[in-house]
Amino acid sequence: MGNEKLQIKKLYALSSENRKYSFSLPLKHTIRIGKREYEVKLKADEKYGTYILWKNRKYPVEIVRSSQNKYEILFNDISYTFTIETPFSLQRMKVLNSTRGKIEKEIIKAPMPGKIIDVLVREGSVVLRGEPLVILEAMKMQNEIISPVHGTIVKVLAKPNTNVMKDDLLVEIKL
Amino acid sequence: MNLMKIKRILIANRGEIAVRIMKTAHLMKIETVAVRTVVEPNAMYLATADVIFDNTEDISEIPVFLNIEKLIAIALETNANAIHPGYGFLAENAYFAQKCIDNSLIFIGPSPDAIYKMGNKTIARKIALASGIPMAMGSEGNITNEEEAVVIAEKIGYPVIIKAASGGGGRGMRIVRKSDEMEKMFIIASKEAEKAFNDPSVFVEKYIENPKHIEFQILGDTKGNVIHLGERECSIQRKHQKLLEEAPSSALDEKLRKKMGDMAVQIAKAVDYHSAGTVEFLLDNDKNFYFMEMNTRIQVEHPVTEVITGLDLIEQQIRIANGEELRFKQSDIKLKGWAIECRINAEDVQAGFAPDPGKIESLNMPTGPYIRVDTGVQAGSSIVASYDSMIAKLIVRGKDRKEAIKNCKMALDKVWIKGTKTTLPFFRMLVRHQKFQDGTFTTSFIEKDLEKYYFNSEYEEMLAAWLATKLFVEENLNDNSINVNFEHGKVMSPWLLNKRINQF
Repeated sequence: MGNEKLQIKKLYALSSENRKYSFSLPLKHTIRIGKREYEVKLKADEKYGTYILWKNRKYPVEIVRSSQNKYEILFNDISYTFTIETPFSLQRMKVLNSTRGKIEKEIIKAPMPGKIIDVLVREGSVVLRGEPLVILEAMKMQNEIISPVHGTIVKVLAKPNTNVMKDDLLVEIKL
Repeated sequence: MNLMKIKRILIANRGEIAVRIMKTAHLMKIETVAVRTVVEPNAMYLATADVIFDNTEDISEIPVFLNIEKLIAIALETNANAIHPGYGFLAENAYFAQKCIDNSLIFIGPSPDAIYKMGNKTIARKIALASGIPMAMGSEGNITNEEEAVVIAEKIGYPVIIKAASGGGGRGMRIVRKSDEMEKMFIIASKEAEKAFNDPSVFVEKYIENPKHIEFQILGDTKGNVIHLGERECSIQRKHQKLLEEAPSSALDEKLRKKMGDMAVQIAKAVDYHSAGTVEFLLDNDKNFYFMEMNTRIQVEHPVTEVITGLDLIEQQIRIANGEELRFKQSDIKLKGWAIECRINAEDVQAGFAPDPGKIESLNMPTGPYIRVDTGVQAGSSIVASYDSMIAKLIVRGKDRKEAIKNCKMALDKVWIKGTKTTLPFFRMLVRHQKFQDGTFTTSFIEKDLEKYYFNSEYEEMLAAWLATKLFVEENLNDNSINVNFEHGKVMSPWLLNKRINQF
């Protein structure tokens, strides 16, 4: 980061729903709401683990995942995913997004660990949005994994009576 | 005074219900036996048992709690003279109840005959029909294929619901709205039924749109006395899985309560029911009610009834199994106050309530005069994928519904669970929702009336964004940053975070 470090005056946290929160550097331990500044404290103790203290209330926090500039934070039991961008990387991202072509395939992953009970499609099958692809059993419930798109099945990796982990590839659909 | 014949109970179950049964057994000075399994060798329920049977060498994929021969052998070997099945597993298995009797073990539950009749939904329908209980229209008996299902559906009109004959707990059920969905849904329901209940048979009945789920708690003794302990409302459910229950229900007045309660008692009497049981009804918009099924076991949500009646239902089950007569009549039962139970499960509300098994890093539950917590886990316990995802039941009371909701809201903010995602954000949203507060919700509430499954106050996302930014600054921009290179998906352990905090 060397030289770049010196130039950064601001950081942006982009939520997965594309909301942008900007923070000036050096990062303050206060957040301004309207005209008032409120103190934010990151603390930890034996009983509660890590928490944020804000406006006299404790909120449990956990870091679920972090890789490069991407962070998944569990705040008060709700998960938020942010990518942290510098003014420079934000600009670069905008350029990349405008030149990137249309997404051509949809990859269906296991939403939870479980056992594949049935595979309802074959390579070459045409599926409509909302059509069930795979039946996955997890915690005694059978869940239909539904196609989020219209398309043609190009790859079927799910096999009946096999166990899958969360995020294992099940089916690939060409749009 | 009746002599207590039951000296030592084998708990043929695990988790919070095992803990719950042992609690009452101890109060009654009855010993308990718990089974240690390889999946949960350090489970909390083992800590309160008088005798632990070590079954960790059994590495079969089928849980011991479903193995009838093994459980009987364990009971005999540990000198237990009674078995409590809890809920789930073999709780509604007539053959298991019969096997207990054959081996001179007292089964703490109803007779095998009552379990069988009520467990088979098609037989239960016939009994209810013969007793004059109102019911939704449907097939006479089981149906064997989708063509037959279509014929019946055309006759009674869509939408219809396919249900497993041996079903319960929401499995093996599918709603069909059009004839072209029938084939797919029939196969799914039938397969699910076979998998879950070892019986693929299903039947079809008219699907009641937007009903309330109202169930009556029944107590019957072996002398023929049957009473009800009022109702519970369990309309807050998702895919037929109950999430929150309350007692009483805001939908019932004294008159309707008496009418439904009498019907519930009548159907229980039709099978000479003894022990605790639950008669489930659907209540439509015009306050018509329809018999759905009878559960011949103690229910997960039994605490809300205990709170408003002051009775210990496990104690009642044990006394009835001991051959004692009920000590109270219907007129002695007075419902007092209001109780709400939230099922705090290890589920990811933001990912469509997907199970989120894992280790509970810390668990802090609130305490207070209006709070009861039933749990089978503690800090360090794991929620394993092979069992249900229950962490704890938070039971809150108030003098009326309004106060119970207010207390529930406060209690929910005091629950701290770390290690897995939980259904807490859902309940925090629910207690603030207008439709929940005014009591007009139905079983379709979650699917139809909710835009968002969780609650977060205005600034929470911003605070989370601040934390993410803070971590980024620490990792990348500070001269003294630790520079830990996180691999994708690597979970950050709390000590590492603490180390960072101490740096600030």
